[in-house]
Amino acid sequence: METFKLLAPLAWRNLWRNPRRTIITLFVVSVGLWSILAVASFISAWAQSSRDATLRLLIAQGQIHAVGYMDDPNISNLMPPPDEALVAALDTSGISNWVARLELPGVVQSEYKTLPVSLVGVDPEAERRISSIPSKIVEGRYLDGPEDDSAVIGLNLAKRLKTALGRRVILMVTAEDGWLEERSFDVVGIYDADTAFEDTYIFTGRRPMQAMVGVGDKIAQIAFEVPEDAALAGVVERLRAAAPTLDVREWRKISLIMGAMDATMGGVVFIWMAVMMVMISIGVINTQLMAVFERTHEFGLLRALGFKSRHVLLLVTFESVLLIGLGVLIGMIAGAATVWGLSDGIDLSAFGKALEAFKAGDTLYLEVNPIDYIIFPLAIWALGVVVALWPAYRAQKISPVEAMRQAT
Amino acid sequence: MKPIVSCRGITKVFGKGELAVHALRGIDLDIMEGDFATLAGPSGSGKTTLLNMVGALDHPTAGEVAIDGQPLSGMSKSALSDLRLNKIGFIFQAYNLVPVLSARENVEFVLRLLRVEPAERRRRADEALAEVGLQGMEGRRPSALSGGQQQRVAIARALVARPRIVLADEPTANLDSTTTKELVDLMYRLNQESGITFLIGTHDPRVMEHSKRHIEMNDGQIESDTRG
Ligand SMILES: Nc1ncnc2c1ncn2[C@@H]1O[C@H](COP(=O)(O)OP(=O)(O)OP(=O)(O)O)[C@@H](O)[C@H]1O
Ligand SMILES: [Mg+2]
Repeated sequence: METFKLLAPLAWRNLWRNPRRTIITLFVVSVGLWSILAVASFISAWAQSSRDATLRLLIAQGQIHAVGYMDDPNISNLMPPPDEALVAALDTSGISNWVARLELPGVVQSEYKTLPVSLVGVDPEAERRISSIPSKIVEGRYLDGPEDDSAVIGLNLAKRLKTALGRRVILMVTAEDGWLEERSFDVVGIYDADTAFEDTYIFTGRRPMQAMVGVGDKIAQIAFEVPEDAALAGVVERLRAAAPTLDVREWRKISLIMGAMDATMGGVVFIWMAVMMVMISIGVINTQLMAVFERTHEFGLLRALGFKSRHVLLLVTFESVLLIGLGVLIGMIAGAATVWGLSDGIDLSAFGKALEAFKAGDTLYLEVNPIDYIIFPLAIWALGVVVALWPAYRAQKISPVEAMRQAT
Repeated sequence: MKPIVSCRGITKVFGKGELAVHALRGIDLDIMEGDFATLAGPSGSGKTTLLNMVGALDHPTAGEVAIDGQPLSGMSKSALSDLRLNKIGFIFQAYNLVPVLSARENVEFVLRLLRVEPAERRRRADEALAEVGLQGMEGRRPSALSGGQQQRVAIARALVARPRIVLADEPTANLDSTTTKELVDLMYRLNQESGITFLIGTHDPRVMEHSKRHIEMNDGQIESDTRG
């Protein structure tokens, strides 16, 4: 304690002997941390936004299927409509919206082309609440009601089929009896999502589709939405309890690619952090080594006066702790200020098409993630102090004989 | 009377083989209580090296240094630190003071290491500064003091812990003649009035004028040791 009281003011004053150098180091540390925090916020906002946008198309946050449907989505793997217990669970489990859909692989045919697709029979009212497709109609209209037997197709599929609004297409789907059932549909609407999605999904009313393939009131899936991703695991648990014979999954287990992306986003932040940490380390070692070599005579003097080598080590380490701590503090404030400054959202609509590939929404909402503000600053502080141990060690080895040496 | 410092057969060799420098070649020396001794000799004769040995700052290659009868060989670095702190005051040629500490803090520094209570510490530091004629300048940083004033602070610091001996290496090297005279008078007065033992390495004849004992070195050996 006595040593601390002796060293702390000494360390603090030593820091400001060369204000220019101290400020440069503070700058390096704080900008480094600031950029890590900003990148972390941005990436996480981006990941979340792009994930939400994709899930909003069709997947939602989770789905219920008959066991086996996910491996082989054909007509023999359908499920009955939800029974009372399941409906009760869906209505009370903290789920904000849910829909029942029939979805089967099929083939679409125009005068020019035949292409494989997935035909989805929906309840349009419910879809409007859970899916973004109804709002992505660029020509014509979305489906009217569950009885609507017309078709809504994707922009790119329309182009490939060389069909258009008001024309008819023929859809072929394997029916319950094993025969290929075919029917013609009026194209009443064209939606604009990403190309791969547009090429895959054709929407029609659920009841006409059930009638077409002769499955009664059977469905392929129930998709559900929860307000908070954090609540998802609990919801899945409750649904499993309510429907033990069905396959309840969260989105990560439905779209494996998205699950993997979700997991790797953090990796980008860590790569950035590693780069910044190398920069900060070099900066800190550099300045602290300079600061030590400049003061060889002075450390000799302190040693001659009765300072132990341990005191010198502590003094220089203390200086680093203060210097880097101050830089970390500034970086944290700058990081939080940046995020709050941009909390109205970053408007990406200007980048429009260029960013479509990332499927993010038009506006990114940055958030201060408290964990980031604990882990990253501590990591940088610790790293800074650890690398500064090397200069401190050099200082500790300076002999008291240096005090006698004439020139400095 | 027992010597405060005794050196027996001190040799110091820097480097090895062809490049070896024999800085000290067998020094026998006793510094007695109350001595005001000057150590002179041409440049490179080994004055600084000898002061380093006496001040427990460096180890001799051979021979034995004892302070207050306590041999230094075999003592740990930490024990040597404590010994310097308790028994030896140092005045160096230049950059004697810690630049970020005020005059008072520089003097107090040694007392802090000795764990003297704050009030007592301050009283003794101010007393020592007054003794060297720096009343009213206690709060100044070294950069706001003249060279002579800085050396006075160094003297105050060397004395404040009441060491057994004060070692000074060219304490007046950067000072003009008036300031040098004042400083030498001060050290001499402290020696006369308080009986503090001084060993001063110097080229300066104005310093030697006062010496009660004059040691002349040449090529790592003591050429003459005269009292008068
Ligand atoms: N660390 C060292 N390494 C190698 N040689 C050294 C070292 N320190 C001193 N010497 C050599 O030892 C000899 C004595 O040096 P020292 O500094 O003791 O002389 P000095 O009498 O103090 O000279 P000056 O009057 O110039 O201060 C010189 O030849 C010097 O070059
Ligand atoms: Mg010398």
